[in-house]
Amino acid sequence: MALSLKNVSFSRQVLPVVALVGLVIAVLYIVTGLPDRELEEPSREPPRATGELAGQNRVAGAGIVEPSSEIVSVGTALSGLLTAIRVEPGDIVQQGQPLFTVDDRAARASLTEANAQIAEARAAIAEASSARETADRQLALFRNVEDPAAVSRSEVIRAEGEAAAARQRLELARSRLSAAEARANSVRTEIGRLTVRAPITGEILSVDKRVGEFVSAGGPQGAGSEPILQMGETRPLHIRIDIDEEQATRIKEGAPAIVSPRGDASRQVEAQFVRIEPLVVPKRSLTNSAAERVDVRVVQAIYALPMSEEGFRVGQQVDAYIPARESAR
Amino acid sequence: MIWIAIRMLTGDNQKFYGLLFGIAFSTLLITQQLVIFVNLIERGASSVYNVPSADVWVMDPVSRTTDVNFPMPSTALDKVRGVAGVEWAVPHLRASASVRTKSGDLEGVSVIGVDDATLIGLPKNMVVGTTDVLSRPDTVIIDDVGTTRMFGEASPIGERLELNDQRAVVRGIADSIPSFTSQVTLYTKYSQALRYVPGTRNRLSFVLVGASDEISPEELTARITEETGLRARTRDEFAQDGINFIIENTGIPLNFGITVALGFIVGIAIVGLTFSLFIRDNIKQFGALKAIGLTNGKIAQMVAAQALMVGLVGYGLGVLGTVGFIYAFSANPTFKGFYIPWQIPLVSFASILVIITLTGWLALRSVMKTEPAAVFR
Amino acid sequence: MSGQPSLDQAGGNGPAIAVRDIARDFVAGQQTIRVLHGIDLDVEPGNLTYLVGESGSGKTTLISIMCGILFPTEGQVKVFGTDIYDLPDRELVRFRLQNIGFIFQQYNLIPAIDAAHNAAVPLIAQGMDRKEARDRAAEMLDKLNIGDQANKLPNQLSGGQQQRVAIARALVHEPRLVVCDEPTAALDAKSGRRVMDLLREVALAEDRSVIIVTHDNRVFDLADRILVLEDGRITHDGTKMPKDH
Repeated sequence: MALSLKNVSFSRQVLPVVALVGLVIAVLYIVTGLPDRELEEPSREPPRATGELAGQNRVAGAGIVEPSSEIVSVGTALSGLLTAIRVEPGDIVQQGQPLFTVDDRAARASLTEANAQIAEARAAIAEASSARETADRQLALFRNVEDPAAVSRSEVIRAEGEAAAARQRLELARSRLSAAEARANSVRTEIGRLTVRAPITGEILSVDKRVGEFVSAGGPQGAGSEPILQMGETRPLHIRIDIDEEQATRIKEGAPAIVSPRGDASRQVEAQFVRIEPLVVPKRSLTNSAAERVDVRVVQAIYALPMSEEGFRVGQQVDAYIPARESAR
Repeated sequence: MIWIAIRMLTGDNQKFYGLLFGIAFSTLLITQQLVIFVNLIERGASSVYNVPSADVWVMDPVSRTTDVNFPMPSTALDKVRGVAGVEWAVPHLRASASVRTKSGDLEGVSVIGVDDATLIGLPKNMVVGTTDVLSRPDTVIIDDVGTTRMFGEASPIGERLELNDQRAVVRGIADSIPSFTSQVTLYTKYSQALRYVPGTRNRLSFVLVGASDEISPEELTARITEETGLRARTRDEFAQDGINFIIENTGIPLNFGITVALGFIVGIAIVGLTFSLFIRDNIKQFGALKAIGLTNGKIAQMVAAQALMVGLVGYGLGVLGTVGFIYAFSANPTFKGFYIPWQIPLVSFASILVIITLTGWLALRSVMKTEPAAVFR
Repeated sequence: MSGQPSLDQAGGNGPAIAVRDIARDFVAGQQTIRVLHGIDLDVEPGNLTYLVGESGSGKTTLISIMCGILFPTEGQVKVFGTDIYDLPDRELVRFRLQNIGFIFQQYNLIPAIDAAHNAAVPLIAQGMDRKEARDRAAEMLDKLNIGDQANKLPNQLSGGQQQRVAIARALVHEPRLVVCDEPTAALDAKSGRRVMDLLREVALAEDRSVIIVTHDNRVFDLADRILVLEDGRITHDGTKMPKDH
């Protein structure tokens, strides 16, 4: 019969085998070719509410780290060149500690000038006193001459006049002295104002001007002028959390919030409630858009980071979860 | 007798190959067209499936698909994060932009902004480079099919593009399934994407959500919608939305439906004609067999065996052809990610069964009607 | 080989086939044509019987009814004592398979299988293993002197060889009735005689009857009995042909 090798039938044996192999290949191809649509865990940890907050209602918000004093932008009252900066970013300074000085050469020149005027006034006083003495003595001499014929009447009158003039010159010189002293004092005050001192105890956050740059008075609120340095009390740090006004009513005031820095969501810190800002403000961009025009208004809640927490920096963005009130909704 | 039936079938080469061709061709036509159809409309879901980690997509109530979206205010992210059962939520931006290439051409691209910190929203795999390149300034990652569209064979790594007057440098190629329009896709960080896309007031296209373990994505979507008023869809629902959008807005289903129907009709025509010719040729033999003493049941078994043989072998060859086709074109960017859903071979198998049952039944009827006495005439 | 319903009743002396009062109508359009009119006939076992008649005389109808493939309109047919048209359909089919061998005028061999397999068809249909059936068929082909052609396909054989294969097929399952339709029609006188000799020699046995439908007058002398049919009636029954034929 026809089952020997040379009698293998193409249509009866080869084709079915080809078809079968084709089906097997197809099954394999289909099985291995199915698209990978498995859900997987994100490779980097996203911020998540943990612990008690995980399963219950909460309010989420983006926040920013700030000093508990908020940021103090230190400026100068007098314009001029910066001649010395006494602190570096990160320095802890005490209240009243000098921070920087503005060029005081003009003021010091004025002081020298004032001092010279004082000296001049003093010399004038000395000269006027000796002139008055001379005149007084002459006048006394003429007065003591009994013989009217020995001294002419006119001589006496002249001597009296000289004595009076010398007294007046002395007065003048004295008032010039006090004027010069007053001026010297005012110049000294000015020199004092050219050295700016720390308004509060805190940490230097940034120094934005370099020695030799011109700084102008007016402070950061003035148009176009930048702060010379920024400082603030960083012990403790505060967090200012923006919360959509629609959500704001749900906040459980007083309860601690869970915050984690952007990009390090595995790190979660409990921050204590401080206050809620009484003023509702338009949302400030925390999404880095340059010109964001938003119709969303936000309530800002302030929380204090524990003093022991390292690694939070002023200005850093955080994701925060705040417990919601039980009765919410 | 089955053995004899198969011999009878294969004894007539012309008709046997005719039958095989008819079945194989129908299988190929039905299977291949269905595969292309399914894959084509599933392109509507590719954007969703390219994001491997999001259980739920949250969007503005009027958004329909990944491409037809209406942006939300950025606080929507916090609203979603406030819903219990949301394990995590990250912003996701999808917008179209025009890019100016080095040669000065203008090319429409989709810009996708993924969460800065976690990079959730990037495809699962990279072809070139790692996702870490996004931490370098002005970095964009281009999708692999877009690469060929925009740069051809040349490597795009290091190429400078101009997006909304901003500089963008290609530093990586992502392995992703192209969208329906095969538009070039540029992945970048959310913050960067805000700069690349001309500004409007609201920018946040989607919030991608991971559901916590205690809650199913379906429950979570209902809860998110109830608490935030935003539209929330599970991954599969949203993928289906994308598919439905294409079905509703293109003529593709009709066109492919016609081709599949043609395959079916051609199959029936070729196989039916050939098979009844074959039976007619053998009607005397069948009559003799009936006279000798074969019951109608046995005869039916023989015809069924012949039909099944033709059907199975032809089907196998047709499926092999389809696999070969898909395999041969898998390197082509147009066919990137094409696969054969396991249901389709079953559908075509059912069609083939219908074809051979129908034609076999028609052929059998003439055999059944044959009087055994006819052999004496 | 289960069930040979005929065996018990087939007493050694009874007729092989008993036809009683057979009539058969065909419906052609509006009118009914009666082609057989009350045929009564007994065929003895071990006989070679000729059924002779012009075309249209009803001989094909009669032979069909006698071998169980055409229902009579009236009457009764007993084959080896079994009233075959009383059997359920399936039983009738099986009865044919067990007891009747057919030799068709055009042989009706299956072109796709070799001679031995063609001859083995009745055995295979009975459910015998294909190899065994083929071996038995090959033996039968040997008896018919075409054992060397067993592996050839029908279209590789000459007409005479094909007919021998058809004869082998009719005999391989050792039926007790062999029906043969115009076996010599396509053959010259010499070959026709040889076939008839062969049939007498191989097919005819003590308990086996052979009925041959023919109008080939060259071979009339080989019959045990000749029946002549005209217009649906038996007009002659004898060992020789009537003179007027």
